[in-house]
Amino acid sequence: MDPLTGMENTVDAPTQVAVADDLFHVSADGAALVGSRCTGCGSHYFPKALSCRNPKCDSKVVEQVLLGRRGHLYSYTVQKYQPPALFRMAPWEPYAIGLVELPEGLKVMAMLTGIALTDIEIGTPVQLVVERLYQDESGRDILTYKYAPIDEGTTS
Amino acid sequence: MRSVYVLGVGAHPWGKFPDKPQLQLAIEALTAALGDAKLGWRDLRGLVAASSRFEGGLGWGLHANELLQAVAETGIPAVNVGGGCAAGGIAVHTAASMVASGECDVIAAFGAERMPKGFIPRPPGIPDDITDTDYLRWVAIGATNPAYWALEARRRMHDFGTTAEIFAQASVVMHQHAVANPLARYRTEITVADVLASPTVSDPLHLLEICAVSDGAAAVILGSEEQARRSGVPLVQVAGSAVATGQFGDPAVRIPTVAMSAGALVPHTSEVAGAVHAALESAGMGPGDVDVLEMADNSAWHVLAWPEQFGFLEPGQSDWMIERGEFGVDGKFPVNPSGGFLSFGEATTAQGVLQVCELVWQLRQQATGRQVPGAKVAQSAVLGLGANGASVVLKA
Repeated sequence: MDPLTGMENTVDAPTQVAVADDLFHVSADGAALVGSRCTGCGSHYFPKALSCRNPKCDSKVVEQVLLGRRGHLYSYTVQKYQPPALFRMAPWEPYAIGLVELPEGLKVMAMLTGIALTDIEIGTPVQLVVERLYQDESGRDILTYKYAPIDEGTTS
Repeated sequence: MRSVYVLGVGAHPWGKFPDKPQLQLAIEALTAALGDAKLGWRDLRGLVAASSRFEGGLGWGLHANELLQAVAETGIPAVNVGGGCAAGGIAVHTAASMVASGECDVIAAFGAERMPKGFIPRPPGIPDDITDTDYLRWVAIGATNPAYWALEARRRMHDFGTTAEIFAQASVVMHQHAVANPLARYRTEITVADVLASPTVSDPLHLLEICAVSDGAAAVILGSEEQARRSGVPLVQVAGSAVATGQFGDPAVRIPTVAMSAGALVPHTSEVAGAVHAALESAGMGPGDVDVLEMADNSAWHVLAWPEQFGFLEPGQSDWMIERGEFGVDGKFPVNPSGGFLSFGEATTAQGVLQVCELVWQLRQQATGRQVPGAKVAQSAVLGLGANGASVVLKA
């Protein structure tokens, strides 16, 4: 069980579906983002890239990698009004979006969880988790990736 | 390459005009510009449209061929350029290049938009999967455009100690400028308290610190020096112009991507920084030569950050410049005497053309009530979705 969400950490169960394919992966080691790494220059990309974008790199061969398990909060915002229908979240309430700096040399945008909207601080160490955004019409949980503060399992 | 001059400028006021077709907005803007140049439709030797039209034929942006087919079937070349909201700047650059090359003696560039209310939807026909980050950012993160600007604004507060009041003041200054501009949509003076009392959209940005979307149209007519002298209007030269795209390693939180480089290897918002530097270089000038800047202020953060990022000011300097009124028309570094996007609401592709119109009025000393005294050199800077940038340098 995920201590933050109370949900099983799996997207394989038919009752749980990722919000988009090839976005994240959950295993016994926890959640990770599915990205790409250039075999020539080592640049990382998220989501998966067709090619390396580094103009100094002639290799342009990318391989799929898991990344973004942990990072530090570089910036954040609290979204106070409801976005248009393409975004679904139930129940809807204001939510935080973070920009997380990763050791892989990327900054990644993600919703934040496990932290009060008034207590967010730049520099906070965070880890990737997977949580339900909403339940669809056939009763399936639609999951997305988020970052949560690393706090030695004291979240209740 | 020969010198390029501005023969005429004109614009339709910004606002919401549900009963006016886009074509009508364009006709009125171009008719105003032709009147300013004392020319007729049959005098045009080329027409460049700033287009935001998406694949599949939907979306906004009017094409130059459609305008000609509606108003004057002269058979002249029609060129339609894309580049998201930078298309207006790209259209002016393209028209200037066609004059400089000798291809056209008289050419117009225009942008005309009727924007949908609220959020700009995705273009049709794009697959709903991770290959489109404009899909991903909505479904997985709920990341609105203001959320991107808010992430930059929050980080600026951390890096430079920028306060909520300073962001609010930036919006106040833009609105002050618009009071005297009959083309602007929002012409009421506002206070810091008004801004801070408006709803928080994406913390720390309030409603009055982000730009709305509007309908509007603007047109610029360019030509050779001989044509300019014949028209009798005060001479304004296109001293330089440039188009650029984003560079690898850019640290900007760029709509609609969901990940960016963590290193600052190239200038922030490199597509615009690159265009600003290249335009100045083609004019044989530097940032210190510019008397007035018209730039895309999609949010109050842009007002503070862009002049620093593009080399006009030192990092962090904008905060005290705003506090002391130095971005005002009588200040040390006047920014957006038109009132900017915050006072106009963005009519996407028309905006980059309108910037040039305003700068021409400034250099002709015709900007009543918002005139930058003695302005001789003026520059525009505009950003377009998909890592597009454009900039135009004008000289009186």
